[in-house]
Amino acid sequence: MAQPISYRKALNEWPLYLLVIPSLVAVLTFSYFPVLSAVYHSFFDWRGGDAKEFIGFDNFTRAFSDEQLRYSFFVIFILVIANVFKMIPSIAVAVLVHRLVSENAQYYYRLLLVLPMIVPGLVTLFIWKFFLDPNFGALNAFLDITGLKTLLIWLDQTFLHWGVFRADAPIAWLSQPKLIIPSLIIWGFPWIGATGVLIFLAGLQSIGTDVYEAAELDGVGPLSKFFYIELPLILTQVRLNLILMVIGTLQGFGLQLLLLGDSGGPEGAGMVPGLWMYNRAFGAGEFGYACAIGLMLFVFILALTWVNNKFIRVQK
Amino acid sequence: MTSPKDNKSQIWKKDLPKHTFILLVLLLELFPLYMMLQISVKNNVTFNANQWLPITPDKWEWGNFVFGYNLIMPYVANTVFVAVTGTVFTLVFAVFAAYFFARYKMPLSGFLWAVFLLIMLIPGVANIVPLFVLLKNMNLLNTLWALIIVGIAGGQVFAIFILRNFIEDIPKDLFEAAEIDGASHLQQVINVVLPMCAPIIGTLFILEFLGKWNDFLLPLIVLRDQDLFTIGVGLIYLDGEYNKDYGKIMAAFFIASLPLIIIFMFTMKLFVKGLSAGALKG
Repeated sequence: MAQPISYRKALNEWPLYLLVIPSLVAVLTFSYFPVLSAVYHSFFDWRGGDAKEFIGFDNFTRAFSDEQLRYSFFVIFILVIANVFKMIPSIAVAVLVHRLVSENAQYYYRLLLVLPMIVPGLVTLFIWKFFLDPNFGALNAFLDITGLKTLLIWLDQTFLHWGVFRADAPIAWLSQPKLIIPSLIIWGFPWIGATGVLIFLAGLQSIGTDVYEAAELDGVGPLSKFFYIELPLILTQVRLNLILMVIGTLQGFGLQLLLLGDSGGPEGAGMVPGLWMYNRAFGAGEFGYACAIGLMLFVFILALTWVNNKFIRVQK
Repeated sequence: MTSPKDNKSQIWKKDLPKHTFILLVLLLELFPLYMMLQISVKNNVTFNANQWLPITPDKWEWGNFVFGYNLIMPYVANTVFVAVTGTVFTLVFAVFAAYFFARYKMPLSGFLWAVFLLIMLIPGVANIVPLFVLLKNMNLLNTLWALIIVGIAGGQVFAIFILRNFIEDIPKDLFEAAEIDGASHLQQVINVVLPMCAPIIGTLFILEFLGKWNDFLLPLIVLRDQDLFTIGVGLIYLDGEYNKDYGKIMAAFFIASLPLIIIFMFTMKLFVKGLSAGALKG
């Protein structure tokens, strides 16, 4: 802890304040000011320049009746749900690596898991965009070879009636509106987050081999081992990851921007709130309206954070 | 009694399903990396003939790497400039601020700490539009300094948060001894804090550097001149080109990854440690 200090002594130590000023100025200018500016300008018809017109709550009433915005919240909701399930492989791999007896093997797997991180995220994303390409893409080739495409065609004809899986044409993942959301979900398969795995492994480290041996003697199966021994120990990390993931997904739009462009793909099928804000500001020049959208998203996320702090306390 | 060797093969047998599963997942995970590497040496002919399997070195298209090098290197230079300058200043500012919070409970300390902590709760999404206008008004649009300055501000909270704990753990005697020798606060930071916190500063350096290296949204909004592009924006423009030569594109991707690969080779341990430290941030 920092030492308590008397006012008299603090007066003598005034140069200390100089040390905090650079950080403080940086943060006030680039973190606080933009938020306040967003609040202020959300009440204006503003195109980014000096001219602006006060229009009260018009931006917000417009937002509430904005079909594209409403749809974008629907998309982001689906993506959040999907991302919850996409955490499972990371947890599974962490648990399996931890259960290995050989420490050497554990070390090498850890190393291999971190390896993809040396490729910039952007490059991975573009490689995936290439995988989703209808003619050259790995995904379509895989579906063709395994015969899964036939299954998809059958599904389409009997249940979905989307008309997107057809025997005579390659599957156009990123140009069929109906396939945009599935593409956004499939992206990154098998969804291993190196950071996530390492976090879970760190949490698992506190389980000794004796616990496993005891469990083995009692004839505990691998699934029960997970639910009774491992999961309780990494629950904190799982929750933390979950919260960060939800917040990250809600405000993220880089993925959609790069895969689909700022219009969210054909018919705006992959539009998310952040991307709509970006589109309105930098595509249409409606900065005031964009501020209002950003602010709504902001309040939404802040409310979620508050609920989380209030009800789902993460134990330290 | 079983001999140790039997025991070993028994363990191996027992763990075999786990190994199989993990290896399968890893294979899928590393598949994009494989595709990038093997396509990067193909030209349109060899790519169309077979895009899945590697080709023998005698058919390698070295021109791809020349193309990639010429295209990406200027971007790499810009990105290195932005990321290194940004990270150094981020850490200098953060060490000073963390020292301020850790050394004494000064008047207003608590309030200022709250000012910093509150930022952690603020989602950044509402910021980007006003930030753009702010940078425009500061005449920083289309400059690398915009990226550096915003990067410095963005890195503060996390670094200060971590560093404060580490500085508070330094024995007070060290500071007092330095003070008796007549060291100013600046000298105490340089002579006491820096040596004692070197490992965590190294880890933070990597984390902050990675964050700035991978950023593409702000550069995309701020930069207009191709001369100033960072890797992210450069790759986005490359992706937007119509006539696609996948060999050339993958070679460019590979060159874009090289700096990180080199850094990774030298700092593997710090990398893994840094990620675990990042894990404990919450």
